[in-house]
Order: sequence, then structure tokens, then C-alpha cells
Amino acid sequence: MNMHFSTLTTLTVSQYSVVQYCCLSGSNFDVAYSKRFSRVGFLKTHHCTKMSRLYDTVAPSVIDEKLLLKAIDEQGPKEEAGRIAKEEETEFADIIALRLDFKNILKIDNLWEFTSLVKLQLDNNIIEKIEGLDSLVNLVWLDLSFNNIEVIENLDKLTKLEDLTLYNNRISVIENMDTLTRLHVLSIGNNNLSSLDNLIYLRKFKNLQTINLSGNPFCDEAKYKLFVVAHIPSLVYLDFRLIDENTKTAAKEQYRYAIEELVADETSAENKRLELEAAETEFNKQMAAYVENLDGPQLFESLFTDDPEAQKLASLPGVDELLNTYKEKMVAICQQVFSFGLQEHEKRQKEVSEFYACVEEAKKENKEMGVTKIADFDKYRKKCLADLTLISDSKVMDSKLGEYDEETSKLWDILMGYELQLVDQLEDTIKDFERSLADMVSNFVEHVQGLISQVRDLENIHHEKVLEIAISTLEKYVKNELDDELSEELKMLLVDKDTITSAVSASHDVHLLKIDNREDDIIQRANGWMASLMERIHQEEEVVRNRDRVKEINNFIDNLKEEVRNLELPGMQ
Amino acid sequence: MDVSDGPAIVIGEGENEQENGEDAPQQNGETENGMSAEALAAVEELKEEMDNIVLEPPVIDFAPTQFLEDFPLPYRENDNKERLVLAYAENFRLQYVHLYRDRKPLFLNPLNECNTEKFVCTTIRPTLLPFHELYNFDGCAELVADYVTFEAMESPIELPKTMVSPATVLKRQKGNCFEMSTLLCSLLLGAGYDAYVVCGYATRECTLRDETRDICPLLKKKDEVKTETEKKEVKKYTVKPPKDLRSKFILKQEGRKEEEKEREIQEKRNEEKAKQEELEKPPADDLFGLRIHSWVLVLAGKREVPENFFIEPLTGNSYATTHDAFLGIESIWNNNNYWVNMQDCSNGCKDLVFDLGDCVRWEYMFPSNDKPILDIPDVDDDGLDAFDEDEEDVEKHLDMPPSWVEPLSLTLKEYQTRCPQGKKTVLYKRAKLEKFAHYLNKDGLITRLSMYHDRELTDLVQVKEWFSNRNDKLDLRVTNHRTGQVTEYYKQGRTRHLKEQTYKAISPGPESDRTQIFYNNARVDGLTKREETPLAMTEHFTDRDDFLFYRHVVFGRRQKKLEPAGSLPSSNPRPIVKIIERFHRNKAKSADEDVAERIFLIAEDRIHLTFHHEDGKITASVREFIKPPNANDKGAILTYSPDMTSTFQVDPHKKPAKNLYLYNMLVELVSQEEKSVHGVRDSEEEVREILNDRKLEEEESELDISVYDTERNEKAKQHRIERERQQLEEKKRREEMELDYLAPFLAQIGDPEKLTRQEAIKLKEDCLSDLKQRLIDKANLIQSRFEKETAELQKKQQWYQQNQVNMQKDDEEEYMEYCSEAMFRINILQLRLNRHKEMAPMKYMALEQKLRTDGRLSEFF
Repeated sequence: MNMHFSTLTTLTVSQYSVVQYCCLSGSNFDVAYSKRFSRVGFLKTHHCTKMSRLYDTVAPSVIDEKLLLKAIDEQGPKEEAGRIAKEEETEFADIIALRLDFKNILKIDNLWEFTSLVKLQLDNNIIEKIEGLDSLVNLVWLDLSFNNIEVIENLDKLTKLEDLTLYNNRISVIENMDTLTRLHVLSIGNNNLSSLDNLIYLRKFKNLQTINLSGNPFCDEAKYKLFVVAHIPSLVYLDFRLIDENTKTAAKEQYRYAIEELVADETSAENKRLELEAAETEFNKQMAAYVENLDGPQLFESLFTDDPEAQKLASLPGVDELLNTYKEKMVAICQQVFSFGLQEHEKRQKEVSEFYACVEEAKKENKEMGVTKIADFDKYRKKCLADLTLISDSKVMDSKLGEYDEETSKLWDILMGYELQLVDQLEDTIKDFERSLADMVSNFVEHVQGLISQVRDLENIHHEKVLEIAISTLEKYVKNELDDELSEELKMLLVDKDTITSAVSASHDVHLLKIDNREDDIIQRANGWMASLMERIHQEEEVVRNRDRVKEINNFIDNLKEEVRNLELPGMQ
Repeated sequence: MDVSDGPAIVIGEGENEQENGEDAPQQNGETENGMSAEALAAVEELKEEMDNIVLEPPVIDFAPTQFLEDFPLPYRENDNKERLVLAYAENFRLQYVHLYRDRKPLFLNPLNECNTEKFVCTTIRPTLLPFHELYNFDGCAELVADYVTFEAMESPIELPKTMVSPATVLKRQKGNCFEMSTLLCSLLLGAGYDAYVVCGYATRECTLRDETRDICPLLKKKDEVKTETEKKEVKKYTVKPPKDLRSKFILKQEGRKEEEKEREIQEKRNEEKAKQEELEKPPADDLFGLRIHSWVLVLAGKREVPENFFIEPLTGNSYATTHDAFLGIESIWNNNNYWVNMQDCSNGCKDLVFDLGDCVRWEYMFPSNDKPILDIPDVDDDGLDAFDEDEEDVEKHLDMPPSWVEPLSLTLKEYQTRCPQGKKTVLYKRAKLEKFAHYLNKDGLITRLSMYHDRELTDLVQVKEWFSNRNDKLDLRVTNHRTGQVTEYYKQGRTRHLKEQTYKAISPGPESDRTQIFYNNARVDGLTKREETPLAMTEHFTDRDDFLFYRHVVFGRRQKKLEPAGSLPSSNPRPIVKIIERFHRNKAKSADEDVAERIFLIAEDRIHLTFHHEDGKITASVREFIKPPNANDKGAILTYSPDMTSTFQVDPHKKPAKNLYLYNMLVELVSQEEKSVHGVRDSEEEVREILNDRKLEEEESELDISVYDTERNEKAKQHRIERERQQLEEKKRREEMELDYLAPFLAQIGDPEKLTRQEAIKLKEDCLSDLKQRLIDKANLIQSRFEKETAELQKKQQWYQQNQVNMQKDDEEEYMEYCSEAMFRINILQLRLNRHKEMAPMKYMALEQKLRTDGRLSEFF
């Protein structure tokens, strides 16, 4: 019975794992395979508690350099490759697979250097907490089975993880795995999982095909199997067995309503998320066009938010209507700014992309010219080198070498010429681009300024009207001709002409300041964008590119010369 | 290849041969160069001698002779209406001759095959034959040209005396131009075209079907769709081209010189062309403009024909009405009317206006349908329509009698055979075209076009052969006799997806010059093209997962080895000197690790790698390995030392690769090399297999027969016959199975041939009484069983009552069980008897009915 089970285990898991083993560790595949095979068999026969008792007798060890080096040495390449590896210093950053099993390790530590690790085995230790794995971002396979882990945690950085084994631990809740979107195989059998509802969490892993849950408390529940099959739709293997069609249909049937509800919830959440995302991108676009919050009354409202006087003044008779028309007109202008801004933004984007396309094209053309030249030279070089090995007369040899040297210098000349040509071309083009971009931006700024000054005019008119009303109200108030009751606050203002005038002007000043600020904001951002863009273009397309190319050419030519100098020629002696 | 530039070919050939001589002197160069001039001359002489011997096979007349009596009555006699029409035509002719004394007689009423005068319009019989190709004019024209053998008229300038019906033409497969155009016109009218037979004048070449001055239509270059090279779009920020520092003046001078040179060449070419044309002009014709000819005119309007055009029935070609070959029109007709041309034909047919409603230009014979062009197409029958109109007129016009010709028909086999005997040869300018019917030739040849350098058709340049229905999917074979190159084109569906193969006819074996093109989308390895020379092989691939797109192999010469004769070539493969493999960029890798070119210098034990260019870099990294000495030992562990590799890195600041990495790379490369060598050997093997296959196929050359082709598909035919036979047998057996209820009674009276009445009555009575007896017997039998069962039950019951007191429980149960079973049986028997009683009279009646209708007895009842 036990033997039978173990065979089955290995085979089903190996569907995936064998491939993993093969591509990762090549030669030590056999060892690993047989080890795993025997381990599962062995562990099913002995109960896990016996195991930990066995290990308790030894003192816990720490992951230190010695341990690591030993493991690397044992598991590293063999034979000739091993010899070579030993000669060189092994860097932890190069290791892609590491096995630290049966080491009685208590704490995961000192692994931060293994940045390219793809496979890590820490099984059969006495680890209590998952930690210290944050830098192993390339990890695809993680084995933490047969430890004393109680909580799933600190796995957020391992986004490439596909195979996670937590078999035989003390975990009671599946959690904290949101970022492991590629998860393919999950083994979490022989743990303390007791709530079937907790498994709904696994729905989010769209690639999850294989799961092992056997030996958990909830496995005794009658509905266990159907529940799992119904709630994790991507599942193909459960507890090392292929899920057959009958089970699937039965599960679907039994949990149809529950699943439908779940699906509905999920889709609505997904839709909401998408909506939010769309709104955000839209807002970002408006931001990029410097006209965010201008497609509605936001600016108008912002005028009055920090203006205590305005609220008081609003209750003056007649100001209400005034405010309404003011708002209407202002919103109309704002919307003009808004649409104009978006339009201009698109234009600028198009201009920029067109510029880059042209630059890329020019660079590509130039590159091709250089490449063909080098290919031609390569042919010559090969022929020349072949000739050189045959020549034994030192005079002929010298002339030949001289010729080669000359050809090399000529090549350098040509390549540098190409580069210079490209530099000239790009300089012109960039100048053109800068000019037209500046035109565009200044155009945009001017137009926006014009529109904003209309807003300012509106504000002025509004101010005058309010002032008029205020003074007339004051007069009426003084004469006690007012019909309506006025609020106390307003009465405070209606003391004399100076007070009311200053209140109105203060409100007006606040408004103007806000409008000015908004205008400045737009202009500054537009100019800033252009300046930074041009700066970047100058830097990248002119300076950095040119330096790189010159360095490249020199390196290449030097190498060519070096090569001939290092030749051991028969004619040299 | 264009035939006219023959000389160029000759030069090219010479060069080729020289090259060959250099490349492969061991092959053919020696033999050709070794031949003395004398021998060559002798060969030439022999050739000429041979050319003089021309065989002329005897011509056998295959047309079945028909006797006059075989023709139906309308062929031999005219009915009243026809006579009336003939009289009408005669009247028309008289008036015409009277009015236009200097014009040629009209072609109105020739004699038919039974020597009966028939009016030409009634000889047309519009027919639509049931082959979809014949729904279009070109299909009809081709059929007429192919199917009917043209016979020249007795006199080229006189109208023929007789014109046989189109039906007879189809039967005899022979006819002159008038008969052929009548047949074609009948088919076109049947297909809904507005077609007319034309009687007029044409050039000698046209009337005699001499196409030797025309270029073969198959050779005419199709209008090449000029793919306009997309002009580079000048974008706003496109960089300016580098400054041109050359002197403008010098450039101009050079340009002028070049122009002049070109002009000179052009002039020379024009001159030559003119000369050639002059030479090729046909000799002057004494009878120019007098030769009578007949062809077909199709007017625009119906069947979406946009413009009027002529169809030449002898060749099946169509021409514009302004074509030079047609010199004038005398008259035209169709099945409805007859028009005489009143226009001046001094300028050929170029100025003619085909507005038949215009009676100044076209004099009609029957007033009934004077506006055929303006007929609305949805009117079903022109004749009827015209007749209706006539009735409104005061005068009652004569309308055209129906055609006297038998319906035209073609069987599928006749249609597919097409040309008489299924073969046809047409001579064109410097070309000969042979057509064969499908399945006629064993190798599936349907068309052969031979191109010659000269006009006498002696100097063969190129032969193109089209095949159909071949098992090996061979579609076209082009043999160039100058270069000795053979190109074969295949259709899709071969086992190795070969599409095209070019090779030299003298070296059809493997390891020779050869180009193979494949249907790459059908191949797993994505191979598109394989080029071979004796010492090299180049393969091109597309869409491979490993990004390989090019593999070039250079072979060394085979080492001479003593080998048993006839051993396989694979046992001593050509040594591979080097393999060059090129790869596309794999974006998943960085450019520094993505190999662009991999050269295995096998002879030198070196491996050379060139990596891809990084974006924006003009140099590429290079790495070279020297293979460890034990690399070729199987299973050996490779030894490695750092001096076995050298490199150039584009980025000088990059860390040099680790030795372990390099070692792994080397191991990988060694295994890759082995794989590549395998691949090369496989390719060689494939070539050999393809050639073997081709050889076998060529020897067998079986033709594919569609499963739908019931005529030819022998297997299907046999299957069908077999099935029919089986069905017949089955039926027979079933008949035997049916029992003859009269047989025993007939046997009693000795199976007489015929029954007398008394015997019949007796027979019937016997039969019925026998049935009665049997029915009663059966009822009795059931009854007796019933009684027996009841008696037994009663007995048991008695026994039970007696012994009830001292009975065991088991016994009692047994008894109960027995009782229920017995009761069940009794019940069943009762039911059966009842049913039998019900059924018996019915059975009796049924037999009586049967006897009454029985074939042997029915006559007595």
C-alpha cells in the first residue's frame, strides 16, 4: 500500500517537477529524483512527529558560509566542470539551484546573495518562520516541506514562484500569497488547515493546476473533495490524482449557486477595478495636458473655498443670480481651456513620437552603413590573416602588415566619418524639433493666457457688480429700506462703506490670486516639460550616444590592431 | 525565357560551360573539350542528314461516312415555310444584285449535307451545352478551335457551295470556316451572347490558320504588375542626407556621356529589331483582300460584354474589331435576321460601325426585327416579340422558321477528348504547341510547348511540358536544351513537400548542381530552399523555433577508399569541411548571448561564433573556441583550458565570462556541432530519397483518378459492379427463402408443367384442408397438455390434503411452490388456446386469399 502510494505521488508530481529538475540541475537530476522518491515513501510510513523527535536530538545549525560552501561544492558541477569551478571563485550570485535539506536549520538567513537562485530546497529542517527570502526574486521553486512553519508570510517578493511546497508544517490558514500570480503547484498537505472556506482564497491563482491538501483536518469532512474541485476551477490534480470529469460535473452541480455568487462578486470587483483604472489613466492624461480639473466647475468652486468673505457676500440680495451667471460663463471658458489643452497635448505627443521615429530611422540607417563596412573589412581581414600565415619572407610580411595597418586606419576614418555625419544630421534635426516644439508650447501658453484673462475679466466684472450691489445695499441698510432680514455676519460688514468695500476687494483679490496661480501652474509645467525633454534629448541623442559610438569604434579598431600584433607569425622570426 | 534573344543564350551557355569546366573538370569538361573539331563537324553532318529524313505518317480519315438516308427528314427536304423564306431570300438577292451590280454575291442559301438548299439563318441552332466552361465565350471558342479540324475551302476567293449543319460538324469533327463560325455562333447564342456569323475578307494567314507569325499566347508575357517601390516618405524630421561634395560639373558631364552611350545602344537595338521585323514579314499576297473568310462578331450589351469584338473560330482567339487581319465585311447574320454591310471597307474593319438598327449602314433582310441591339434583354424570345409587333402593322411580315438542324450534343467523354484523337499541334512563331486530352498519355502530359531559336523550328531552345492528374503531383517541367537545365514544378501534397526542383539533365543523381524549393509551411523543419553544388549545400529556413534561417555546408573531396562495388554512398560520406549557420535575433536573450552566426570549422577543429548586434551598436561580439582534442570521442569528458578560447567584446568594461560558463558553452557547442552534422547528413539522405522517389515515380507514372470520376476510376467501377452483383444475389436468395406452400401438393401430383382446372381446384382444397387439419391438431395438442397439467395438479392436491397433518415445513413450501408454478402453466396454456382459436380462421382466410392470387392457380379463379 505504501509503496503504491509513493509511486503515485512521485509520478504525478513529477509531471511538473521532473521538467523542473531537468532544466535546472541537469546532471544531479537522478540523485534528486531518487531522493525525493524515497523521501515521500519513507515519510508516509513514519509519522512526522517521530521525525522531528529524531532531529530534536541534534543541536540546530545556522546557515553560514561554511554550510553554504559545502552544499555548493557537493551539488555543483562534477568532473571537468567541477575542476574548473573549483579553480575559480564561486559567486553566490551565479548559483541557480541550492539544496539545504536535512541540515537541522532553524532560521533562514544569509541567503540574500543568491539573487539568481531559481530553485531552493529547505525541506526537512526545523524552520519556524519564513523569512530572509526577499532578495531571491528569481525563485521559481521553493521547497519548505517538513518544517515547523506556522504562518505563510514574507513571500511577497517572490513573484516568479511557480512551485511552492509547504507539506508537513503547522500552517492553519492559507494567506499572504497575493503576489504569487504564477503559482502552478501548491503542496500544503499535513498541516493544520481546518476551514474549507479558506480555500476560496486560492481562486485568484489562475494557473494553479496541482494542489495537495491531504492530511489536513478538513479532509475528513465529507464534502471536502467536491468543495475543493468546485471552488478552484483551474485545478487538474488534487492530492496526486487526476480529477476526473465525473467529479468535476458533480462538484459543479453541487456548488452551482455558491460558485455563481462568487463569480458574480469577482466580476463586479474586477469591473470596479477596471473602471478605477480607466478613470486614473484619463486623469493622468489630463494631468499630462496640464488641464486637469478644468472640465467642470472645479476652478470656480476653488475660488470660493478659501474665501470667507465671499460666503457672507453671497447672501447679499441679487448676488445669487450674479454668481450663477458668473459660474456658467467661467465653466464655459474652463471647458474651452480643457479641450484645447487636450488637443494640444495630443499634437505635442504626435510631434515627439514623429521626431523619435525619424531619429531612430536615421540611426538605423547609419548603423547599417557601419555594419556593412565592418563586414567588408572582416572579409579582407580574414583573407589577410590567412595570407600572413603563409608568408615566410619578412620583407613581404612587413609590407603586408603595413597594408593591414593602413586598412585598419582607413576603416577607423570611415566609421568616424559616418559618426560625424550622423552627429551633424541629428544636430540639425534636434534644432528643428526644438524650434517647432517651442513654437507649439508658446502657442499653447498664449492661447491659455488669453482664455484665462477672459476669466479674469469675468472676475473683474463680477467684482464690480458685487461692489455695486454691496454699496447700494449698504445705503438701503443705512436708510433702513431693506425688506429682508440680513444675517448677522453680513450686518457686521454693513457698517460703513470702507468695510464693505474692503471685504469685497479682499474676496476679489483672493479670486484673482487663485486664477493667477492656476495660470502660472499651467505655464510652468508646460515650459518645464519642454525644457526637461530637450535636455534629455540633447543628453541622450547627442552626448551619450556619440560617446558610446566613439568608444565602440576605438575599442574595435584597437582590438583589430592588437590581434595582429599578438599573432605568432612564421615570418616574424 | 524569351526566344528572340537566342544569341544571348548562346553566349551565356559558353560561359557556363567554361565555369563548369573549372569547377568540375572531372565531370563533363574533359569529354567535351577532348572532342576534336573533326568529330564535331562529323556530328553536325550526321545531324543534318538525320534532319533530312522526314517521316510523313499516312493520314487516315476517321470521320464515319454517313448515308443520306441516315439524316432526318428536315435535312433532306424543305417545308413550306422554309421554301417561302428561300423565295424571300432569292427575291432579296435579285434586288440586291440589281441595285449593287459591282458587289460580290451574298452567302444566303448554300446546300447542306443532303444537297438541300437551306437558308443560312436557319442553320444556326442556339444551344447551351452542359459544361460550365462553355458558359463563357472563350470556353466556346477554344472548344470549337480544338474540337473541329479546320479544312480550307476549295477556292480561297469563292463562297463555298455547301455548308453542313453544326450537328454534323460536331460529329465529323471537320469543317471550313463558315461551318465553324456557325457552330461557334450557335454555342454563343445559346450562352446568351449577342453573336453573329460574319462573312467577309481576311488575310491569308487568318484564312489558312497560319499562326507561325504569331507569338504563342502561352509565351506572351503577362502584364507584369509593377510593384512600385515605395518612395521613402519624407517625414518632418527626417534627417538631411549628407552633403554631396562632388563637383556638379563633372557629374553632369559623366551623365551626358552615359546618356549618349545608352542612346547608341538603344538605336542599335531598334535597328536590329526593325531588321528582324523586315525579315519576318510574310511574302506579299496576290489575293490580298479577296480571300473569303467567316468569323464571329459579338456585340456589346448582353452578358456584360463591354465592347464589340471578333472571335476567330479557327484559332479560338478573340480580337478587337479594329484588328489588321480582318479586311472587310460583306454580310452578317444570326438566327433571326440577315444584314448586308453598306459601309466602305477600304480601310478594313477599322471604321465600321456596328449599329445594326441603322439601315443606311446595314441593310436588313427581314423587317421584323430591325433593332436587335435595342432589344430589352428580359424579353424571352426576340422572334416572338418581333412577331407581335408585326401583327400591329398592316403588312404581315415573314418571320424566321425554326432551325432545321438536329440538336447539338456532346458527351462528357467527347468533350474531354476535345481534339480529334485527343491530340492537336499548333505552330507558332518559333514555337510549337501540342495539346493532349487528359488521360490520353500514360505520363499525364497535356500540353507541350517547344520553343525554338529559329523560325524553321529546328534549333530547340526550351521545352515546357504541363502534366495533369499525376500521382507524383508533377505539374510542369521546363527543359532548357541550351543549358541542359531541367526545372520541375510540383503541386502541394508530396511526401517531402517538394515544390520546385532544378537540376542538370546530364547529372540527375545526388551531389550535383541542384536547387530544390519546398512548401515550407507544410514542413516541420521549415525548409524553404536547398541549393546544392558538388561540394556545397545551402539550406534556407523560415519560421523556426530555434531562429535558424540559413545553413551552408562545404564538403571536402571524398577520400578514395577501396570499397566493395555497389555499396551505399552513405557508407562513405563526403567529409564536411565547415558548417555555417545563421540565426535570427532572439529577443528573449541579450544581444551578447544571442548567436547570429555559428561556424563549425570541422576540418580545423574550431568553432567560431558571432553574436548579434546590440541596438545602436555597429560592432558585434565574437568568440572563438578551439575544440579540445578529445571532443570527438564519444562519452569522453572534455578537457578545457582558458587558452582554448578567444573573444572580442563590444563592451570593454564588461566582466569577462567565467570559465565555467565558457566550458558549459563549449560542451553545448560540441553537441550542437554533432547535431548539425547529423542534420547535414539527414539532408543529404533526404535528397537521395527524393531522387529515388522521383525515379520510381517516373518509371511508374501512374495517374490519379478522382473518386468522383465514375468513368475512369476502375476501382470504383469494379466496386459498383460488385455491389450490384451482390444485391442481385441477395435478392435471389431471398426469393428462394420464401417457402412455397404449394410445393408438397404439387409434388404429390408429380410437378406438372401446367395445371388443369380440376387439378387446380383439388390442389387448393387439399391445401386448405391440410391447413385446417393442422390448426385443429394444434388446438387439440394444447388441450391435451392443459388436461394433463390439470390432472397432475389435482393429484398433487389430493396428496397434500391427505398428508397435510404430518408434513414438514419444507415440504409444505415445496408444495406451495409447485402449485403456483402449475397454475402459471395452466394459465399460459389457456391463453394460448384462446389466441389460437382467434387466429385460426384468420390464418385460413389468409391462405385462401394467397392461393387465389397465386400465379399458378389464379387463372382458374
